[in-house]
Amino acid sequence: MGNLIKAEFRKTLSLKTWWVLLIPLVLVAFWLTFVWGKITNDFADFIGSREAREIAGPIGLDPDKLPVGLLAFAHGVNIAQLIPALFGVFALAGEYRSKTITTTFLTAPNRISALTAKMLTYVAWGAIYGVVSFGVSAVAVMVSVDSGRWPTAGQWLAALGGTVLASALVTLFGIGFGAVLRNVPLAVVLLVVWFLIVENVLVIALWGQTDILGGILPNGTANGIVGGIAADAFGINSLNLPGNVDHWSQLGLQLAASAPGVISWWASALIFFAWTMLFFGLGWLGNQKRDIT
Amino acid sequence: MHDGSGRIVVQNLSKQFGAVNAVQNLSFVVEPGSVTGFLGPNGAGKTTTLRMLLGLVTPTAGTATINGRPHSQLGNPARVVGSVLENEGFHPGRTARNHLRVYAAAIGVPDQRADDVLGLVGLGSAADRKAGGFSLGMRQRLALATALLGDPQVLVLDEPTNGLDPEGILWLRNFLRSYAREQRRTVLVSSHLLNEVEQLIDQVVIISQGVTRYYGSLDQLRKGQQSRVLVQPADAAALVKALQENGIQQVSPTPDGRVAVAGSSVQQIGDLAAKAGIAVYGMQEEHVDLERMFFQLTQGQYGGAPQGYPPQPQYQGPPPGYQGPPSGPQQYQQGPPSGPQQQQYWGGPQQ
Repeated sequence: MGNLIKAEFRKTLSLKTWWVLLIPLVLVAFWLTFVWGKITNDFADFIGSREAREIAGPIGLDPDKLPVGLLAFAHGVNIAQLIPALFGVFALAGEYRSKTITTTFLTAPNRISALTAKMLTYVAWGAIYGVVSFGVSAVAVMVSVDSGRWPTAGQWLAALGGTVLASALVTLFGIGFGAVLRNVPLAVVLLVVWFLIVENVLVIALWGQTDILGGILPNGTANGIVGGIAADAFGINSLNLPGNVDHWSQLGLQLAASAPGVISWWASALIFFAWTMLFFGLGWLGNQKRDIT
Repeated sequence: MHDGSGRIVVQNLSKQFGAVNAVQNLSFVVEPGSVTGFLGPNGAGKTTTLRMLLGLVTPTAGTATINGRPHSQLGNPARVVGSVLENEGFHPGRTARNHLRVYAAAIGVPDQRADDVLGLVGLGSAADRKAGGFSLGMRQRLALATALLGDPQVLVLDEPTNGLDPEGILWLRNFLRSYAREQRRTVLVSSHLLNEVEQLIDQVVIISQGVTRYYGSLDQLRKGQQSRVLVQPADAAALVKALQENGIQQVSPTPDGRVAVAGSSVQQIGDLAAKAGIAVYGMQEEHVDLERMFFQLTQGQYGGAPQGYPPQPQYQGPPPGYQGPPSGPQQYQQGPPSGPQQQQYWGGPQQ
């Protein structure tokens, strides 16, 4: 297994993909966090001073000390984590595209070990991308948000853990998604369109009927891991807002954390893990017995 | 673990893709120490058979083993069998050396081995060029280098002469011969053209429409070559009768109304015809060459062939005269040619 993992790392390191993808990751993580930090820094203006006071009051916070840094952070890393998902798409679908999958299977004891090595390698890559986007977003928070509104040391740690976990999971999700479709361009387009547009439109369009969608769909749950941590920093979550903060302000607040409908970070992590396993499992099953012709 | 014999055994192997029978009840054995040709027309099931042997395609029935084991039970398979397959890929952005280092790591051989095999196939100076810019001939060589990484006991090559220039084919011949004979390893080479591999192989397995038509030594197949005489008599029935009365039994009609006579000479037939008072308008001596015999074995359309023509030393399956029309589309297993088709140097060092 060590040999196969070494081979998988060489596969990724001998191509440009890994560092070319770091460019948009850094840009997205930095600028989204920075811009969002600037906006939420004046949080009271953003969602209205009435709500800000209503939120700050019950949890005993001064509006000037609202931990909006984490909201900006969540916004940045949540969009940036599309990058490791795309990286994952190339893992298996890319091998079908360049037809190296034949040699990969011929040089491994069996397909299970080839796929396992790939999975472990890409989890590590996902974690690396997570660490990078954490670092970049953290810097962006520090330059855009007043220091009084920065996360505490514990919150920084939680944000790091959440970012790495989410990043590793979306990478696996990308592998599974690519493996099911076995078509790189199609998988990339569908993934980006779904994560950035379709699901957000669905969640908001149906918000009047139900707020559950954001808490269970792939993008919502993937974002909910770090978004949930940010929401927790306010001492609130979607099911337990102060009664007089209305339904639509809740959406606004959660949108600010880029996780509308989030239930809690760990529920999001569990549900997104289920999505990952669904696609990864389907992709795995499909490749375990498939005829390579 | 495997028995280390270097023997390839295909037993009652069948594969169905949907309604298409790609391979039907195929059986043959390939021994080490010789180069075996695996011949058949395009669509005969060669590629599917090789891919089943390598564990890439799951058989519908039967087994294909190397060293007594299916591919998935070989342990570190690339140490036992190396293969050059059609439709095998390289990432266009990865250099030749990096491609080989990836798989050297997977197999667990030192990185130096990547440079060794590059030198062996004459790609040493192209090591740092990206595979995407390689010609078909260079890709074939890189595929062979990949196959050789694990220094395998068994080498399987699917249409390896495709895209090679004559110099490259000559080089490949010499390489495979010494690999098989001097190092007593097993080499199986598929081709749809007998004359492309005729000087390379000792043993031959001929399949057509997914069925084994012949397997045995090429020499035996050659010995069976005989000539026949095509006679155009005034009265065919009378000639046949006259010939048979004189002990010439290998007589049959041809589709164009002539009489095909084997095991006899033009003079003999002329004398007999004259004695029987049958006018003969023309006689033509015909030598059946290996290529024609191959065609006959694989197409089954060479009418009028007398019995025992060609020889059938270890014959399996329907007789060579088998007339069944090819069923269904036969192109499913031949992928479209990939990559640039222009030919380049194979053999000498690069630039």
